Amino acid sequence: MRKSRLTAGVVAGLVVASTAACSSGGGGGSSEGLTFMFRGGEDEKAAYQEAIDRFTEETGVEVEVIVTDPDQYATKLQAAVAGNNVPDVFYIEQANLQSYVTSGILMDITDQVEEQGVDLANLWQYGVDSYRYDGKLQGTPDGRLYGLPKDVGPFAMGYNKTMLEEAGIELPDADEPLTWDEWLEILKKLTKDNNGDGELDQWGTGLNVMWNLQSFVWSNGGDWTNEDRTQVTVDTPEFAEALQFFTDLTTEHEVTPNPEQAQTLDTYQRFMAGEIGFFPVGPWDQSVYNELDFEYDLMPWPVGKTGETATWIGSLGIGVSTTTDLPDEAVQLVTYLSADPTAQQTLVDANIQVPNLIDVATEWAGEEGAEPANRQEFLDIVQDYGRPMPAAVTYGAAWYDELWTNIQPVVDGQKPAAEYLAEVQPRMQQLLDESNAQAEQAAAANGNG
Amino acid sequence: MTTSSATTSGSTATAGLRASAPTPPRKTPPGGGTSRLHRHEQKWALIFVAAPLIGYLAFTLYPVCFAVYASLTQWNGLGPMRFIGLQNYVNLLGDEYFRISLFNTFFYMIGIPIGLALSLALAIAMNRKLYGLTAFRTIYYIPVISSLAAIAILWQWAYNGDFGLVNQVLAFVGIDGPNWLASTAWAKPAIIIMAVWKGLGYSMLLYLAAIQSVPRSLYEAAQLDGANSWQRFRAITLPMVRPVTFFLVVTNIIAGAQIFTEINIMTPGGGPEYSTASAVWHIWRQAFRYQQMGYATAMAIVLGILILIITLIQFRLNRRNSFVID
Repeated sequence: MRKSRLTAGVVAGLVVASTAACSSGGGGGSSEGLTFMFRGGEDEKAAYQEAIDRFTEETGVEVEVIVTDPDQYATKLQAAVAGNNVPDVFYIEQANLQSYVTSGILMDITDQVEEQGVDLANLWQYGVDSYRYDGKLQGTPDGRLYGLPKDVGPFAMGYNKTMLEEAGIELPDADEPLTWDEWLEILKKLTKDNNGDGELDQWGTGLNVMWNLQSFVWSNGGDWTNEDRTQVTVDTPEFAEALQFFTDLTTEHEVTPNPEQAQTLDTYQRFMAGEIGFFPVGPWDQSVYNELDFEYDLMPWPVGKTGETATWIGSLGIGVSTTTDLPDEAVQLVTYLSADPTAQQTLVDANIQVPNLIDVATEWAGEEGAEPANRQEFLDIVQDYGRPMPAAVTYGAAWYDELWTNIQPVVDGQKPAAEYLAEVQPRMQQLLDESNAQAEQAAAANGNG
Repeated sequence: MTTSSATTSGSTATAGLRASAPTPPRKTPPGGGTSRLHRHEQKWALIFVAAPLIGYLAFTLYPVCFAVYASLTQWNGLGPMRFIGLQNYVNLLGDEYFRISLFNTFFYMIGIPIGLALSLALAIAMNRKLYGLTAFRTIYYIPVISSLAAIAILWQWAYNGDFGLVNQVLAFVGIDGPNWLASTAWAKPAIIIMAVWKGLGYSMLLYLAAIQSVPRSLYEAAQLDGANSWQRFRAITLPMVRPVTFFLVVTNIIAGAQIFTEINIMTPGGGPEYSTASAVWHIWRQAFRYQQMGYATAMAIVLGILILIITLIQFRLNRRNSFVID
């Protein structure tokens, strides 16, 4: 009798203690300040800390910062969500927006952003629209707003200016894109043996299929899906032609290093060592590339048969949790980081991103003696010809990843592009169908349908 | 040991007294003054028992039950769960990638016997009087204490088909090495080589300890009987280190079934044609990239059951083969 009562008491006490510990951790931190969870490398952490400190100074709102490494962010955020301990403000990936909205985790911030007088017209439309969702499609201009862009990441084509000049090749025009054939001619001229040991030590280019195929497909008139993202369209002739041209660069024309090589590490290192002529450049590369021994610059991506250059833009957003105790302050932090001129200046000075504000960006692009000189190309991508990654605007990404899983034989030249694409299309279609069905069920389950 | 048995017998004694006592024990404590101490001790005993028990309930039993339920739902890990019965398990049967990843996972286990043989050989070598022995032992142990993530990145560079260390060394002896991690044929062996290298020091250390505790007299007796060194190894060393071998096989299989970090770092997309994806990697991707938490949980449970079955078989086999020397 005594024994069991005592046991019960101890157990009950511990259970109460542990649940109390859990619930005090829940609900998005203390009500006195905000929690902000984000990710980034060292430079980025420092720059953001500086911006956040100034926010606290100006508004008096304490912000507790939780930083993770980039590759652990998604896992940790999801763990926080599962533990009912969502940070008040956090980074949200484009690709996860829909599931976080339909699961009722991201707050609709449309009205607060408007009330706080943020001039959305001075932010990149692509960046803002990426976080709009109308319950069916993401990225539409009239959807509700569930976040603001932390940044936009235009993926530009770049070239080793010093190498091209030494080879006596006319520098690519900043406005008129090269056609694939013209570009290939240049690549062939650049691929050679410089030190005369009988082995190539300089190549035209060297591109990873996962990150570079998009431009080729789009400028050739192909795409991954139809417009309402219900039909996988990788088996079109335009798509196949683009993939074939892409792999032929390596296997037919041999203007890239090692025919077997599909890893980026190599060509990224080789570009920095001055062995590669053409290589993509993102805003995040600038701080490293600016230190290299040669000069580089940006250009529009070479074009397929549409003649219209194309590439992708990444973006990362900042959103607010529905469980926050301080919704107004949380939205204020979002708008501060995304759209405050001083905060933007801090982040841009760290050479880690393109300015979010159009007027700041225009000034930044026009800067005299800037490197790369053609910074405007980044802005053209954001404003004009960049597109979201195909999987960034669908509910799940499994259908998109399926394309890459078995692509190696195509990259190695052992299988024709058209044959592979015809094989993979049904599998991708099935996964996309499943993903769309899940999106509907999730929305229905949460009453957001 | 003695204290605890004393307490146990004491408690039985008092319980007997209590039962027979006509008045409530609270008013007339039996056993002449021991009861306060006894009660005090009993309280602490219960608290000590409660700590692991609650830990077990909260961190093992509850999660397991939760996982079993989650595996019967469609759940994205964020929103509410939707009960769908055994649908996840049905889907799993048709999931080609889960089959491939399970196959890969068990394929990696080829590395276990290789690693054990090598580490036993090394342990025997290290058991001799060698110049710089401690240095060698330390060198072999360094990979064990290094961060797996860092090691995986180093090996990723070493395996680089174009200018990686491995192929450079192979080129010295005139072999044109493959592009290890981008080739369906070589990616798995590449991971096995790395895993063997990483685990060598730990197994070696355990074997070394086991070898050193083999009674000298056995070898002396065998030598008198004219056994050569191979026979001594076969008949004495090998059986004497069997408990260590068993321990290593069991733990290596359990750890091997959960291989993840190397895969995720060295081949971020699961390797060419999914040739390096392990079961845990596949589960992780379903859970955290595709937000199919329910489905991923179902796969995790299947994997857990497989590991359990294998371990039970091993215990059964080991029991049949075991013997004792006093």
